[in-house]
Amino acid sequence: MQQFANPTRFLAIANKALPLIWVLTIILFAIGLYGALVTAPPDYQQGETVRIMFVHVPAAWLAMLVYTVMALASAVAIIFRHPLADVAAKSAAPIGAVFCFLALATGSLWGKPMWGAWWVWDARLTSMFVLFLLYVGYIAIWQAIEEPGRAAMIARIVALVGFINIPVIKFSVDWWNTLHQPASVLRMDGSTIDWSIRWPLLVLGLAYTLLFLALHLMSMRSEIAARKLRNLQIARSGEA
Amino acid sequence: MDWNADHAGFVTAAYALSLVLVAGLIMYVFNRDARIRKRLAQFEKAKK
Amino acid sequence: MTLLAALLRRDLILAARQGGGAGTALGFFLAVLVLLPIGIGPDQATLQRLAPGILWITLLLSVLLSADRIFQQDFEDGSLEVMAMAPPSLELVALTKAVAHWLSTSLPLSIAAPFLGILLNLRTEVIWPLALAMILGSFALSLLASIGASLTLNIRRGGLLISILVLPLYVPILVFGMSATTGNPEMINPSLLILAAITLASFVLAPIAAAAALRAYLK
Repeated sequence: MQQFANPTRFLAIANKALPLIWVLTIILFAIGLYGALVTAPPDYQQGETVRIMFVHVPAAWLAMLVYTVMALASAVAIIFRHPLADVAAKSAAPIGAVFCFLALATGSLWGKPMWGAWWVWDARLTSMFVLFLLYVGYIAIWQAIEEPGRAAMIARIVALVGFINIPVIKFSVDWWNTLHQPASVLRMDGSTIDWSIRWPLLVLGLAYTLLFLALHLMSMRSEIAARKLRNLQIARSGEA
Repeated sequence: MDWNADHAGFVTAAYALSLVLVAGLIMYVFNRDARIRKRLAQFEKAKK
Repeated sequence: MTLLAALLRRDLILAARQGGGAGTALGFFLAVLVLLPIGIGPDQATLQRLAPGILWITLLLSVLLSADRIFQQDFEDGSLEVMAMAPPSLELVALTKAVAHWLSTSLPLSIAAPFLGILLNLRTEVIWPLALAMILGSFALSLLASIGASLTLNIRRGGLLISILVLPLYVPILVFGMSATTGNPEMINPSLLILAAITLASFVLAPIAAAAALRAYLK
């Protein structure tokens, strides 16, 4: 791990890997979308609407994965004082927020024809909404605190407190939902998912993950450059 | 995909929205990367 | 220990003399309680059904409203730095200040709330479970508010940020608080026990998080 600690080393690796990741992302998206829109059969109950799942579910996966990445990076930043960890956490947040918003929005578009309402206070929707709030809070902290070192320290705590809280929220909204209304939500039974539906979903999930990886590496690259720029500017204003 | 099925508009909307947001995100990341690295290059050149 | 006791006493006296913390929160609480029936309509059955939820949400918002005061003043006049250098660890200082906030603001509110609920035609058999759950939950509310307050210590317009940061932390308390109040016939029910568990976990974790955030600002 230590060899990635050096930003120069990281940049060299990232620059080399990025074109390959982009190409793979595009290929996987092409295959996945073909599977999702062409070969996958319409659901006998949900009809064509089921195809929304192929963009909805990967977005939801990624929203959770990206927050996990953020929390892990924040933990690494606290424990090992790794110089790139804060950069990684900060760069991941806006990407995760977009995926989270996409999951909510496409879920809403799925819900309208299925449940007859744009928004249902179902346990999953609620915890996803809270996750979105966590993203917003994390991003807002970076925006609000000007001193980068301090912003990094505060942001680490925000990410970790949020991460500890996620299972508690999940547990509580499940509890809350079963208390208020019995599960009336359409549920996909794991065993009934046909392979023709499952493979485009998995391919698209992988495509989203690679897309995140590519965007994350690029954002980290910009962030490292931005920090360097800032240091140079400070150094110059010190000379003048 | 049967584009004339019931609720096909919702499917289109979901895919279109995903496309727009992901494309927007990609453009934002690319622009930011290009902008910052250009400024850094200018700065380093000016310093020399 | 005596130092912490002195700090607690000082904070309570300050809160009582200034009337800022508890006073504003209580004023807000009463305002909501008076305005809500006017907004919803005077129908007794509707109010009775909504009463526990309204009381919980109002308690939550009142605590949130007074949250930024937990550390702000001491940070601005420099006494927080003195406390950071004192023998008790910053974690214990943060815990003490959260306890002071609980005793001066959240606890009085949570004791008063079930009885103010009479204004909302609250079912009488709910009053005691509600009081118990609120007293227990309000401690967690204060502890979690101290996390939010420490994170936004020196941020201009930190009020909005504090709400976004603390809101997710309050979701479980609202859920189990409500369920402990209305979901069960017995006084000591599983939801109340879970609420107690959340309070205990916050008791341990909140001071650690708050102290870490305070250190970032005191550097």
